[in-house]
Amino acid sequence: MRVRIRRRAERSIHAVAIPVAGAEAVPPRFAEAARAAGFDGRRGSACLVHAPPGRVLLVGVGDAPGTDAARGAGAAAAHHLSDARRIAIDATALPSALAAALAEGAALRAWHGARYRSLPDPEAPALTACDILADDPHETERLWQSAEAAVVGTAFARDLVLAPGNKLTPRNFAAHLSRLSDAGVTVEVVNAARLRALGMGGLLAVGAGSAFAPRLIVLRWRGAFDAPPVAFVGKGITFDTGGVCIKPAAGMEDMRADMAGAAACAGAMLALALRRSPAPAAAVLAVAENATGAASYRPGDIVRTYPGTTVEVIDTDAEGRLVLADALAYTVAQVRPRAIVDLATLTGSIVSALGSVMAGLFANDPALAAKVAAAGAAVGEPAWWMPIGDSHRADLDSDVADLRQCLTGRRQPDACHAAAFLREFVGDTPWAHLDIAGVEDKAEADETAPRGPTGFGVRLLDRLVAQSFEDPEA
Amino acid sequence: MLEIAFAKPALPSSGALVLLAAEGGKPAGLWKQADEATGGAITRALEAASFTWGKGKTVSILAPGAGLSRVVAVGLGKAEAITPLAAEEAGGHIAAALGAAPAAAVCADIFAHKPALAAHLALGATLRAYRFDRYRTKEKPEDKPKLAKLTVMLADHAKAKTEYAPLRAVAEGVFVTRDLVSEPPNVLNPPEMANRIKKLSSLGLKISVFGPKEMEKFGFGCLLGVARGSAVEPRMVVMEWHGASNGEKAGAKGAKKAGKPRPVAFIGKGVTFDTGGISIKPAGGMEDMKWDMAGAGTVVGLMAALAGRKAKVDAVGLVGLVENMPSGTAQRPGDVVTSASGQTVEVINTDAEGRLVLADVLWYCQHHYDPQFMVDLATLTGAIIISLGHEHAGLFSNDDDLAQKLTAAGTETGEKLWRMPLGDAYDRQIKSDIADMKNVGGRPGGSITAAQFIQRFVNGKPWAHLDIAGTAWATKESACVPKGATAFGVRLLDRMVAEHFEG
Repeated sequence: MRVRIRRRAERSIHAVAIPVAGAEAVPPRFAEAARAAGFDGRRGSACLVHAPPGRVLLVGVGDAPGTDAARGAGAAAAHHLSDARRIAIDATALPSALAAALAEGAALRAWHGARYRSLPDPEAPALTACDILADDPHETERLWQSAEAAVVGTAFARDLVLAPGNKLTPRNFAAHLSRLSDAGVTVEVVNAARLRALGMGGLLAVGAGSAFAPRLIVLRWRGAFDAPPVAFVGKGITFDTGGVCIKPAAGMEDMRADMAGAAACAGAMLALALRRSPAPAAAVLAVAENATGAASYRPGDIVRTYPGTTVEVIDTDAEGRLVLADALAYTVAQVRPRAIVDLATLTGSIVSALGSVMAGLFANDPALAAKVAAAGAAVGEPAWWMPIGDSHRADLDSDVADLRQCLTGRRQPDACHAAAFLREFVGDTPWAHLDIAGVEDKAEADETAPRGPTGFGVRLLDRLVAQSFEDPEA
Repeated sequence: MLEIAFAKPALPSSGALVLLAAEGGKPAGLWKQADEATGGAITRALEAASFTWGKGKTVSILAPGAGLSRVVAVGLGKAEAITPLAAEEAGGHIAAALGAAPAAAVCADIFAHKPALAAHLALGATLRAYRFDRYRTKEKPEDKPKLAKLTVMLADHAKAKTEYAPLRAVAEGVFVTRDLVSEPPNVLNPPEMANRIKKLSSLGLKISVFGPKEMEKFGFGCLLGVARGSAVEPRMVVMEWHGASNGEKAGAKGAKKAGKPRPVAFIGKGVTFDTGGISIKPAGGMEDMKWDMAGAGTVVGLMAALAGRKAKVDAVGLVGLVENMPSGTAQRPGDVVTSASGQTVEVINTDAEGRLVLADVLWYCQHHYDPQFMVDLATLTGAIIISLGHEHAGLFSNDDDLAQKLTAAGTETGEKLWRMPLGDAYDRQIKSDIADMKNVGGRPGGSITAAQFIQRFVNGKPWAHLDIAGTAWATKESACVPKGATAFGVRLLDRMVAEHFEG
């Protein structure tokens, strides 16, 4: 969807949304209609009024709205008016920051994503353009442009996640990143032969069962000053069958999304490049397919990871932590970052813990964790701080190797175990880990978001960089 | 209970001697005397064992000479990190390491300037020496633990003794809880548990027991729904402790007028056995469900601790006791019940019964006592184990200040809490098509939706909910907790009351 910031509406636009801050703020000419519909401008409420030749949508943002409410109202406008080709949102009564947030919400909600249909897509929204009417178009334009980069990055991540396992493979993953190179991000692919030479036993073991060899993809954004980069590390399992410990058939198709962590990292890098962030940044994507095959790794196998730490494999479906172990250790050694944030659809345990509302946040550095949580709260991608207790690490002691990969049994705090496992591979580097299983995909469309991939993490990382890593003196 | 004595330091001429030191400690005082009396045998043995007094490390030296049966060295770790909790853990390690010794003298010179730490050491040893052996009838004498008495020796032994008195009361409360939680479900059913609680009136607690007739009158449709399947009747037991207002009814209107503090309130889930009801649980591990009354057991132990140490607080403890059984009269999935609050609940899963019990008891509590705050404890969800494991209990609260006080007390006592979120997005998961709410919200965020359910019965009062399903029972021992019932929560809540709500 294209967003334009204007001072006045064009006459040809017949679908207009008006944000309303509480009952007092209902425009007088719609007061009667609002009364009849019981619309009082509360946040989350909406009322469609037919006002020939067009329609007007009153969208409640509540008293004293913030950016959250404005984003929600923009999304509601795109949702309720999705059958119009062009819409306008009248933000003239609002501050520029909220006008930009309306645009952001509308653009995020209007994403539909490339489907793989040969026939016309019945669900595709007609909506392709949105005019934001603002009192100060210049300021609003400036704010929107800095938000737009992350909206584009989010759409990019969503499209990657939407790609099925036969279309997006470890072999062609890098080819899907051409948009990043166009924007000035360097894309380096570490192929399987090189992975073997480096001793990346975790990533190689997980990828062994697949016809497509695993890869490590390294993305770099130079930024504008000389400093160690902030690094993102993403789990990129293009399809996860579970391996020899194969998953039940029901719902397995969702496992195309098991690369959502890597997609979010790539989307964030795109956002930084598009808005020419001054911060040096890097992303390391651990890309593999966890297939079942004659060469698959097995429970009981012991693999040697990049730093030499040996791991006793317990469950081949706990593959994410193995590929991340290598990627994290590689990042520490080769990228030498100021801080690392990794994102992974890692555990079912985090879904039991936090549902599909928040991501789980684990860290070895409280200050970094606080920054990540604050960035998530600011953009509406919330993350809840979870513990890595002494017992979680102690549970990973192995009889035969340096570490046990995980524990068996149904009732395990596997998200905490996984985080304790990953912590072993980051040394003293400040590190935060976002377990995004549960928030990477939305089962049903609603006013706030379309159905399907959410791109969770792109906007969080972009905001984190903006808030904490763009000051060369810091 | 382990007998504790405090005495002046003196080298015993027989029996077991315990030496305590921090990392890098050098022989001094009794340690030096003992070493000299044994011709340096202790120093040689410690060197041979490469013992460096690391935290939680112990070494036993048998028959070192000078008439001593054994010397046990217990490391305290870094000298600057000896907190009361660290002293308790050292006490626990002492109790564990003494094994077959019937009595021992502990050389606690290191606490010469901090006699309170000696008291905490005694508490730790006491807690670790607990054993539930009511149902062992044929145990061989040599298999029984022997340790009966510990003499803690330090110069200011009188001060240590004074400090220990309230801690001993807390230990007694812990044991009340551990006993209740360990009891088998055919013995400890709701009426029997109520009878046992009544005996605590000797501590000065005012105890009232309510049966199904009164519950009907109170409108306890949720709790009574759970009880329907069982052959035994449910009970609600209310324990009042008037440590601040001395004899007036806690929270009564008159007391409020007279400027008396409103009580603090604790509410416990007491499902004496949980089969799951019609939504019956799998057989494997079902025996563990005898401890599904641990929340109630903890509230009872806490009230015993507060009364035992004559805490200067008005407190009220309420427990909802019920057995969840499948039968012809049991409630079914799909039933709609009406709670004491008037809100209706669609029962989707009869195994999500704890929140039904708490709903009615919480409502009763806030309306009869108008408490300053309410803390409920419950072995509520399996999801909290999948979320946090066994190291932290889940903490849910509508009040940041209360949550912070609880978390701090938990860290100090080693009963750790981890705050979990609440929010509208979770609350939506328990919307029902035909009633005000349903009693489960699906697998995602299962502990949170349970807390959201309970919160719907909290009328804006400061409230915290502790999901102790992962911490109420230990499958392996730790410093101050033998395997089995932990009484998790008694010490943490006692500490919170002591620090913030007394005097």
